[in-house]
Amino acid sequence: MLRILSRVKPAVGGETPVSLSEKKKKNKTKVPRLEEYLQQRDYLGALTLLEFQRSIGEKEEHADLWIGYCAFHLGDYKRAMEEYKSLTINPECPAEVWVYLACALFFLGLYKEAEDAASKAPMSPLQNRLLFHLAHKFNDEKRLMGFHQNLEDVTEDQLSLASIHYMRSHYQEAIDIYKRLLLQNRDFLALKVYVALCYYKLDYYDVSQEVLAVYLQSIPDSTIALNLKACNHFRLYNGKAAEAELKNLIDISSCSFEFAKELIRHNLVVFRGGEGALQVLPPLIDVIPEARLNLVIYYLRQDDVQEAYNLIQDLMPTTPQEYILKGVVNAALGQEIGSRDHLKIAQQFFQLVGGSASECDTIPGRQCMASCFFLLRQFEDVLIYLNSVKGYFYNDDTFNFNYAQAKAALGNYKEAEEVFLLIQSEKIKNDYIYLSWLARCYIMNQKCQLAWELYLKMGTSSDSFSLLQLIANDCYKMGQFYYAAKAFDALEKLDPESNYWEGKRGACVGIFQLILANKESKETLKEVVPLLRNSGNPQVEYIIRALRKWAKDNRVLLS
Amino acid sequence: MERPDRGKSSRLLKNQPYDESLEVTDPEEVASVYSRGPVPTTGLCDGLQLPLSCQSESRRSRAGPGLMSANSSSDEFEDDHKLQKADQPGGSPDEEDEEDEEDSDEDTDDDDDEPGPAPEGAYDPAEYSSLPVSTEVKELFQYITRYTPQTIDLDHSLKPFIPDFIPAVGDIDAFLKVPRPDGKGDGLGLLVLDEPSVKQSDPTVLSLWLSEETKQHGATELKKVASVVSPQSNPRAVDSWVDSISALHRSKPPASVQYGRPMPDIDSLMQEWPAELEELLGRLQLPPARLDCSLTQYADLICSLLDIPVYGSRIQSLHLLFSLYLEFRDSQHFTRRAHT
Repeated sequence: MLRILSRVKPAVGGETPVSLSEKKKKNKTKVPRLEEYLQQRDYLGALTLLEFQRSIGEKEEHADLWIGYCAFHLGDYKRAMEEYKSLTINPECPAEVWVYLACALFFLGLYKEAEDAASKAPMSPLQNRLLFHLAHKFNDEKRLMGFHQNLEDVTEDQLSLASIHYMRSHYQEAIDIYKRLLLQNRDFLALKVYVALCYYKLDYYDVSQEVLAVYLQSIPDSTIALNLKACNHFRLYNGKAAEAELKNLIDISSCSFEFAKELIRHNLVVFRGGEGALQVLPPLIDVIPEARLNLVIYYLRQDDVQEAYNLIQDLMPTTPQEYILKGVVNAALGQEIGSRDHLKIAQQFFQLVGGSASECDTIPGRQCMASCFFLLRQFEDVLIYLNSVKGYFYNDDTFNFNYAQAKAALGNYKEAEEVFLLIQSEKIKNDYIYLSWLARCYIMNQKCQLAWELYLKMGTSSDSFSLLQLIANDCYKMGQFYYAAKAFDALEKLDPESNYWEGKRGACVGIFQLILANKESKETLKEVVPLLRNSGNPQVEYIIRALRKWAKDNRVLLS
Repeated sequence: MERPDRGKSSRLLKNQPYDESLEVTDPEEVASVYSRGPVPTTGLCDGLQLPLSCQSESRRSRAGPGLMSANSSSDEFEDDHKLQKADQPGGSPDEEDEEDEEDSDEDTDDDDDEPGPAPEGAYDPAEYSSLPVSTEVKELFQYITRYTPQTIDLDHSLKPFIPDFIPAVGDIDAFLKVPRPDGKGDGLGLLVLDEPSVKQSDPTVLSLWLSEETKQHGATELKKVASVVSPQSNPRAVDSWVDSISALHRSKPPASVQYGRPMPDIDSLMQEWPAELEELLGRLQLPPARLDCSLTQYADLICSLLDIPVYGSRIQSLHLLFSLYLEFRDSQHFTRRAHT
């Protein structure tokens, strides 16, 4: 699909004397023309040629403008800016150079300077488009509408409008424009890639892939297209498949190729699950919008909630991804430092995303609603949303931890126990929330011994003390008096100041009752006596006397 | 799942004095049960799950009084207990008979729309009331119900769903671009994406090559020789540099020699011979190397045959001779002819 190279008019100004022999000998390359480099989009070659000609005094007509043009399309906006800046100093400089300078400044992110430069340029469609995009960057709706009205029904203006739709997440509107233009001109293959980008953003990765294939068929080494292909692979398959695509791109590009280098480095970190994030992402934070979000995700995965918060607190969320991430960070921080304000923000952001038309039926949207209700402690609602996506998260520790808690909170201890036991993460398994809920599930499911073992495995801490209280009281409630008595006994030893006698007394008598009802072995009575003796209460002897009397009558040996 | 649970719990509620006493210990708590009541009945909550949610709500609300009674001494607790009994219809201060009255209390409880929080399998003293035991043991058993286990309120912790890492696909061409200075269309962003090709010339190699081609040596002082940061980890950069430089050297004419006297250029030497000579050569043999003459004489002979002048020393002439030979040898045109 590459256009036929037009060599009719030599683009090179000062014709270099080409010897007769060179014309004859086919294997010998001659000095190439600028046009050939441009057709190959070898802008580095074109720049080198222009500079060389400049240095030997054979100047192309408008050599400065050509250098600016090449640097700009190479993506070296700094170089383009410098070139145009030096041109504007010249009093004879054509006025439209100002808008070129403004374009270069725009891509350098220097929006204010870009606006100043654009204002010095004569009115033109390019100037209007630039001001239109600047108004978008400045969030100036009023001016945006003004420049929007100046747009005409010509290809460039319509494409510029479509790109604004894309940036505002109005993907369908953008697709409509591209499809209309494609109907008018089937040669506009690049538009296929724009459509594919929109479908990618709409999560239609396979459709995106199909449309993209058309472009890649004619231009197999396109950086933007191959990167998009890798991203589709990441979403459709996994990071490995995506990385393979990027590797392919890296292998075919020459060493001097700098374009999109940051994008590729950024995405390699993404595809490798965050490997190298701290080296690669920080310098890209204001270059690639996703870099900040990914660094936040990286910190969250490292449990560095504070760093994550520092990075995202000033971000004004606009996309669902940004809202979700802000919600997640606020939820994590709010729970860590016990701040109701953060939890409130988190809950609101989750509700906003989960309730939005575009996200309510996506997995992240459902997760948001579940999180929102979890923070509100409305667990029956949490379960509705988690149940709707649980097929996607069978082995996901995070999901199972939340899911089991919701089940347990609703008294569904059997299923809760099963789900708690699916969790693999050592960190969660050592979390007191996990231990206490699992212990409660065990006890409610009549497996008090397992709960007791959880306690035995814990070191002495305030958490293990709390767990003992849980075991003592929940076991008591369930009539599992043996472990209730043991737990009260342990509490008594750990905390002699408090009075656990009443519970221990009840539990010990409860064991006795269970023995009488043949629900506990008579041998257990032997353990009851020392348990009682550990307490100094005057009632101890009275109870022991009663126990001994029964033991004697029933010929049970009590040491 | 739901139905049997409820059936069981209402049955279990019987004779659970600790349970009942808790519910009214603190009037404020009771109020809060009702104020929280409507919360779970959101639009998304389906009817079946409602009772469960109430259960959880009421369980939570009990935590306060539960803790209170645990901290109080047994005597205080009993006072409390009796007090409530008195408040309730049919309540009796007589503790001994308590178990019997619980039956009647239980009914009113159910009517109060307080589903039993007692989980399946909770302790039920009624199960043991028929044990054939002495009065002394029976009295001992009172200790079991004398203690009300605390309802321990456990914390929840939402483990936030951390999103996947987000790949970047870049923005769409906004058509904010510099046009060609000559005003021609470039089709960038339309026919092809406006992106540089992955194959970019190496500026250093290209400028060396350009100065070579145009014989403008020194016009461009070598800009800068790029260095490779860590060659062991980046062999591709080194290889491509070596390749392009050797390609550059190959493309150069063999080290150009400045002849001291005028010499014809290779091209003119390669011109065809006149037709007569061509014809003659077809019939005659060229002087072979074993010709009875000295090497210098033979060199002179060959040079004159090929129109190469010899001035004094033969070195420069021989250089031109061999250059001519290489030219023929490397020419695709002649190699192809030789094969056919």
